[in-house]
Amino acid sequence: MSKRNNVDIISVIESKVKSDIIVQPGQLGTAEIVTSNGSYRDVIKAMAEADEKTAISAISGLDLGQNLGLLYHFRTSNAFITVRAEVPKENPKIATIVDLIPGATFHELEVADLFGVVFEGNNLSGHFVLPENWPENVYPLRKDVKANEVKLNPTKNEAKSVEDNKVVKIIIGPQHPALLEPEKFAISVEGEIVTKVEPRIGYVHRGIEKASETRSYVQDVYLIERICGICNAIHGANFVEAVEKILKTDVPPRAKYLRTITLELNRLHSHLLTLGHACLEIGYDTMFQYFWRDREPIMDLIELTSGNRVYSSIMTIGGVRRDLKETDIPKIKSTLADLRTKIPFYKHTYETNASIKLRMKNVGVLSREDALKLSVVGPVARGSGVDIDVRKDEPYEAYGEIPFKEIIYTEGDTWARMNVRMDEVEESIKIIEYALDHLPSGPYRVKAPRIVPAGEAVNRVEAPRGELFVYVKSNGTANPERVKVRTPTYANIPAFLKTAIGENLADVPPNFVSLDPCFSCTDR
Amino acid sequence: MDKKRTLPTNISRRAFSSIFKKPATQKYPFVKASLADGFRGKQVFDIEKCISCGLCSRDCPANAIEMFEVEGKKRPLFHLDRCVFCYQCADSCPKNAIQPTSIFELACVDKSTLIMKPVPIAPAVKTPA
Repeated sequence: MSKRNNVDIISVIESKVKSDIIVQPGQLGTAEIVTSNGSYRDVIKAMAEADEKTAISAISGLDLGQNLGLLYHFRTSNAFITVRAEVPKENPKIATIVDLIPGATFHELEVADLFGVVFEGNNLSGHFVLPENWPENVYPLRKDVKANEVKLNPTKNEAKSVEDNKVVKIIIGPQHPALLEPEKFAISVEGEIVTKVEPRIGYVHRGIEKASETRSYVQDVYLIERICGICNAIHGANFVEAVEKILKTDVPPRAKYLRTITLELNRLHSHLLTLGHACLEIGYDTMFQYFWRDREPIMDLIELTSGNRVYSSIMTIGGVRRDLKETDIPKIKSTLADLRTKIPFYKHTYETNASIKLRMKNVGVLSREDALKLSVVGPVARGSGVDIDVRKDEPYEAYGEIPFKEIIYTEGDTWARMNVRMDEVEESIKIIEYALDHLPSGPYRVKAPRIVPAGEAVNRVEAPRGELFVYVKSNGTANPERVKVRTPTYANIPAFLKTAIGENLADVPPNFVSLDPCFSCTDR
Repeated sequence: MDKKRTLPTNISRRAFSSIFKKPATQKYPFVKASLADGFRGKQVFDIEKCISCGLCSRDCPANAIEMFEVEGKKRPLFHLDRCVFCYQCADSCPKNAIQPTSIFELACVDKSTLIMKPVPIAPAVKTPA
């Protein structure tokens, strides 16, 4: 596996697609490609053929007045490309790209739900994010819809279970099937074997993307942090980085290191949480308690550095909100050293324990080909041998200066995905220690203006669960015009739908938890 | 399974030896939790420093600060039931009139007790001439 192939994707596109495209380098990623007359499909096809790692990151919908804009964001081995297309609002029909990029299914469903774009050829239909009693022809992210004026229809009862001759449909959820978050899976089983999974999310959809349009950038940092409790710091960092790109603000080096430390503390506690949670799902409560016991000192470190054990609220446009005290560094180091001594025991248990082996090895195997095809991200992709990590591919903050290893497992099963996280715990400890040792002096924030000039930016970071993407569009006022967040779990759901099929019903929870799903993130 | 059973891993030994160790949990509320310096708890507001600029109210992401008239001047009134304790108000205040404390035990039965009204400036004690 070579880390990067050197395909110059932009010249490939320019040579293969002859007409109707404008390539604007440096905007919205490596380049932005403006298409017309349906040539977006040719561009996407050319990209998918040239590079096996071409995967969709997100589709951002935009309300442009007369038209609806569609921004298809793609990542390849060495670039991040945005393809722009437009459809008239009167007749918002566009051909699907699911046949070219199978991972785009749910991204298209979301845009269909929130903007009313019809993707011709995408077979899935119905609400995916919005509730079933949402009124017809009301698309919340269009500018003419006022969030507080929407009248919901009376609630209809959902079908509880459907039975024909052999296939039994079991509805799991929305009351907390595997984790303490609501989602629903309609699972068809033949005997014990799962034959089909239909997901439904949106039970905790809070309309954060819409709400952020009515608040100032300062307020939005806190709002967007609250997309997720577990990985809150990374959401904040992602948003402020995007705004800093529009503002062209240079963040001081000390702030970059302090952000890196907070983000890695966040990753540490998030990974320990999942490692423990996976043990709970297979009924191994002792190990679960051990992981969570050892996670607690990390939460204390977050409290020490930021002032709260969950919401660090430390990111701000132009830097961080508080400096790290010199006297706190020994405490952080000794806590991390403590955690490091426990890792061999965890690793040994994961490798040798009979229950863990029986319930995780060869459960939910996702092959490398499928992982690439379904555009999965983060530890799920790395557990299947796909070497993607935004920290390495497109270093942000201080990651470019800090040496660390990218963890890859090739088995692709639940066990491999958990072990990616296990090894990343060790790497995170190393990153924090390096950052503390090489902490630059100087200011930790610069003053940023409250009014952001008109412009747009995309940004992506590596959250504990994988690549997190944000698109921010500014119209020159104190409030953003559009904020689109694509969270890692949203990109990873297709992996579960693929791997659950053909396996036992009893393996659904551990398989699902191995994606480290977060529905608070997914629904936004 | 042809492989030897590996059941008595060192986890059972560890679990057993934990019986003789100090518990990992704290006996809250009998033992008070020790908080880190700089913990973001309930804020305190110093009306004497306030210049009624309203920046705290404008920047509050939770809309928890209302400008409330006290003796003819607008002062911040904190709805702590809505507050997310981000301390943006303390950051925005140009006069440092909002200061942190580590008070976190705010659970209550009546939410109205969480409204923190600005206390009028105490009349200066008249010194006898």
